Amino acid sequence: MIPVRAYFRLFKSYLRPYKRRAWLLAAVLSTTIGLQLANPQLIRVFIDRTLAGDPTSRLVPLAIGFMVIAFSHQLLLVWATYLAEQIGWSATNQLRAELTDHVLHLDMGYHKGTSPGELIERIDGDVTALSNFFSSMIIKVLGNGVLLVGVLVLVWLESWIVGAAIAAFTALTFLGLFRLHGVTVPWQKAIRATSAEMYGFIGEQVDGTEDIEANGATGFMLSRFDGIQRKWLPQIVLGWTGWAMMWSASMALYFLSLMMGFILGSWLFGVGTLTIGSVYLVFRYIEMAHWPIDEIREQLVDLQKAGASIDRVGDLLARESKIADDGKVQLGEGPLRLTFDAVTFSYDDEAGDETVLHEVSFDVAPGRVVGLLGRTGSGKSTMARLVTRLYEPQGGAVLVGGHPTWDIGLQNLRARVAMVTQDVQLFRASVRDNLTFFDDSISDERLMDVIQRLELDEWLASLPRGLDTMLESGSGGLSAGQAQLLAFTRVFLRDPGVVVLDEASSRLDPATEGLIEKAVDHLLENRTAILIAHRLATVARADDIVILEDGRIIEQGERAALMADEDSVFAHLLVAGMEEALA
Amino acid sequence: MTTQRQPGFGRILMRMGRVQPWRYGAALFLWTAIWTMPVLVGFITAHFFDELLAGIESSTVVFVVVATFAYAAGRSVAIFLGMRNHGSLLFRAGATIRRNLLVRIFEMPGAAAVEETPGEIVSRFRDDVEHIVEPFDISVDLTGALVSGTISFVIFWTIDPVITIAIAIPVLVVGIVSTQMGGVIRRYRRAAREATEAITGFLGETFAATQAVKVAGTEGPMLDRFMALNAVRKRMMVRDRTLTEVLHAVFRNTLNIGTGLILLLAAGRLNEGGSTGISLGEFALFVYLLHVVADASYFVGAFIARAKQGSVSVEKITRTMRGEPWTRAFEKTDLWLDSEPPAPELPTSDHPGFESLEVRGLSYTYPGSDNGISDVDLDIRRGEFVVVTGRIGSGKTTLLRTILGLLPADAGLVIWNGEAIDDPASALVPPNAAYTPQVPKLFSMSLRDNLDLGADVSDHLMNESIYIATMRHDVDLMPEGLETLVGPRGVRLSGGQIQRSASARMLTRDPRLLVLDDVSSALDVETEQILWNRLFRARSEVAALVVSHRHAALARADRVVVMEGGRVVAVGPAAELQESSEAFRAIWEGALSATTPG
Repeated sequence: MIPVRAYFRLFKSYLRPYKRRAWLLAAVLSTTIGLQLANPQLIRVFIDRTLAGDPTSRLVPLAIGFMVIAFSHQLLLVWATYLAEQIGWSATNQLRAELTDHVLHLDMGYHKGTSPGELIERIDGDVTALSNFFSSMIIKVLGNGVLLVGVLVLVWLESWIVGAAIAAFTALTFLGLFRLHGVTVPWQKAIRATSAEMYGFIGEQVDGTEDIEANGATGFMLSRFDGIQRKWLPQIVLGWTGWAMMWSASMALYFLSLMMGFILGSWLFGVGTLTIGSVYLVFRYIEMAHWPIDEIREQLVDLQKAGASIDRVGDLLARESKIADDGKVQLGEGPLRLTFDAVTFSYDDEAGDETVLHEVSFDVAPGRVVGLLGRTGSGKSTMARLVTRLYEPQGGAVLVGGHPTWDIGLQNLRARVAMVTQDVQLFRASVRDNLTFFDDSISDERLMDVIQRLELDEWLASLPRGLDTMLESGSGGLSAGQAQLLAFTRVFLRDPGVVVLDEASSRLDPATEGLIEKAVDHLLENRTAILIAHRLATVARADDIVILEDGRIIEQGERAALMADEDSVFAHLLVAGMEEALA
Repeated sequence: MTTQRQPGFGRILMRMGRVQPWRYGAALFLWTAIWTMPVLVGFITAHFFDELLAGIESSTVVFVVVATFAYAAGRSVAIFLGMRNHGSLLFRAGATIRRNLLVRIFEMPGAAAVEETPGEIVSRFRDDVEHIVEPFDISVDLTGALVSGTISFVIFWTIDPVITIAIAIPVLVVGIVSTQMGGVIRRYRRAAREATEAITGFLGETFAATQAVKVAGTEGPMLDRFMALNAVRKRMMVRDRTLTEVLHAVFRNTLNIGTGLILLLAAGRLNEGGSTGISLGEFALFVYLLHVVADASYFVGAFIARAKQGSVSVEKITRTMRGEPWTRAFEKTDLWLDSEPPAPELPTSDHPGFESLEVRGLSYTYPGSDNGISDVDLDIRRGEFVVVTGRIGSGKTTLLRTILGLLPADAGLVIWNGEAIDDPASALVPPNAAYTPQVPKLFSMSLRDNLDLGADVSDHLMNESIYIATMRHDVDLMPEGLETLVGPRGVRLSGGQIQRSASARMLTRDPRLLVLDDVSSALDVETEQILWNRLFRARSEVAALVVSHRHAALARADRVVVMEGGRVVAVGPAAELQESSEAFRAIWEGALSATTPG
């Protein structure tokens, strides 16, 4: 079926602002259809008058009238296209924005399982199909549908028998076409699914050329690529076959209509019911009925694709984030208390449902700095993700400023809790946009102030166009260390109350790390902080220490006290290094 | 490299046709038949009308009905055959371009394979390929339309040369005008495509950075930027589509002007006898065939517009294939569409038994900057552990990449077992060498596939590699073990797991030379230490070239290479360098302080 209702249900609110333009479009389109229907009538009159022996002076105005009408019709059609495109793109842009917003707010579990390439396909590919749906729906399907009805009515007026016969055939053809459509939708779905797989694959390959080439895997990757194409070909041939089936159906209608025209035309002319001009008119209208059916049939092929797109967009919008944003609490200024209260957590996804944290409890007073130590996989990074509420614990609660994270407005929570991770994501945009994360409300003055504090001004001065220098995506032409400094700047700009540094400086060599030591000191000043590290030096500035092993806290206390206590794990760590102490 | 003139679409078509001559030939034949057959209906109706005025016999009615049926049945068969052939033809045409492009991307130095964002590359594979295949598709219809149009004009001429000339004039004018508009179409199309690319690029980057965006709470500003990009695209798209419709309208108007002209010229002469008269049947045939001509001119217009667009896309793909001629994208290649390809051939060692790798005077400068490495010498022999160290931006990663051919060296030699190698990128792969970058990438497939990368790895080697890479515990905890799907880019694994998987991946090929960029961001000191211990215990024969600034690695190294500003400033064992190199001391003390909190 043509997914008209699903489409308009999805689109109702997006189309509302363009109501007046839509009416204008309807008016323009109706006029074009009227003009199109009028023209064959002129030819009929022309033939009958000619055969009746009318003088040329009575015929020439008809010919000129024909041309004027035809020309106006085309002009109006251009206007209608312009209007339909305007409305279609405006409305789908709204939908794109909403989808992007929606997807950005979905939980990380969703994002883990979905590649950026796939999301591009959802948000831009599918929605563009919907935009085309709108303009072709209105101009081609609806316009031609009305034209078809007009043709049938006019033929009916000439001779009800011919009209009834052609109407019956047309109805039959459409029935057949819709049947076929139902058959071919799954074919199109399969094609789209393989298409998404292909472009997801390509995106990943291009991202990993270094790994692929240096490990001699290009042959393997090509054979996987061939495998996707091999799956795709029969699907596509089937899709084309569906197209042929539809075309044949409309061919059948055309044949039946012509047959009616020949048989009834000769009979009705013979008995004198129709003039020769009227018989000709009927044939013209049969031709005219043939075009819109062809157009509608061709559009059906595209609309099938749109049907699948509508389903997927609908599914995506219906997906709810596992992280509900219904907290009301707004956090105050200044450093905030941070509490883990018997927190139990498991990612519970395809990578496994093992419990990562077991009833972890500890408390950080406002302004204190906690060093979180533990081996890889002990759950440190998970704790950082819980504080920023990228995930929700299954048991217990994480409290910021004394409130469970789910009671705090999400936007507010993330404005007040900052996190720097090992991976710094850069955008192909100006340095300014990369630093402010596209937030235009941050003034250059403030930006420069922070840059100076981070001693990045020397680096900035080395850039050809300062803040306006464009970075490349990926590593952005920056070293890992420079990218890290850039990430620090991002945090500085937001002035949070809690800072989580998750191995933030791990890619800095010790010499460069020294460069930002002061800056980090400044960042921690009057803020609550968690420093996650597997390097002991990183936690040197911590007030308290928490040591994690296999998702459990095995020790916590003031750093100074733990250092003094010979039996503490921390003291052992200092002496023996982490491996022995935690093994 | 000379910039080559972009080919016209005619030459591009020839290339594409030559790859599949039979299928393309069949398509030309079938679609010419499909587009020419309607002429028959014109004759049938013309015959009907002439007979009608002359007093029609029922046998004539039967004849026209049967003839029409034969037409419809014949054309339906042609359509079925034509469509199925077309699906295969067009898919293979697109598949050829996609495959050639991917092969080319794999040929380029891995660390600088493409200049575009992944989103833009996806657009190359999807949109640009489609834009090239479209005019190839229409070229078939165009051929059919030209044949049927020519036939129509011949028929016109036999009926009435004056009217024929009168019709030909507007058709020609329209043809010339629309050809002239090609430049404008091309410009509009390009603007629209660039606007789309800006959007897909932005989306790609945004969703690659979802966690960062969320944590920074910057969804709002990101959305504003996205909407601004969308508004630009809307303007471009509406402009482009409206112009296309104008062109279509111009073409359709040839039909209407033509019909009007026939009416004007036929006025008074219709159904007059003699040589100047036109019968009603001939009039009907004229008007009917004008549709055929209009269809033909539609395809001319559509082809011109799409061909321009196709040339733009060929240009883009050529740019992505840096340095290769455009014809490369269209070269005939085995697509393996009918059967599984043979198991990928694993590179075999040209230099069996690793003895030494020497690097002499190696230089590389990043385009458009002063950064890079210059004149680097380095030696590593069997069983040795060589550590490259230095501050951020000193060129450590660049050095590894240039040695391995992942960046194209500007100067210098890479010598393997005493023999200079021309193309390190193809020589320094398993089983000679394997590499783990600083931020390794996994792929959306099972963990096993990610580790063996299609190679036939024995269970023993697989298990040993996993063990050395300290990955055993993780694999055991995964419910599906090695068959676990790691998700796109390996996102279902933690950062440490990805790093360890990549290390295991490197080991499954049992290479003679291991090259590892800094693992410290994902592995803690202890895990890294375990890795080295196990590695040298299990595979004493291998040599390892690693970047590190960790004490454990530096102290263990047979030789430390200290880099500064892209040059080697000191080489030697750590103990020696502590005395002799100030640059090394800075790093050593930094590394040391990392294990003793102060």
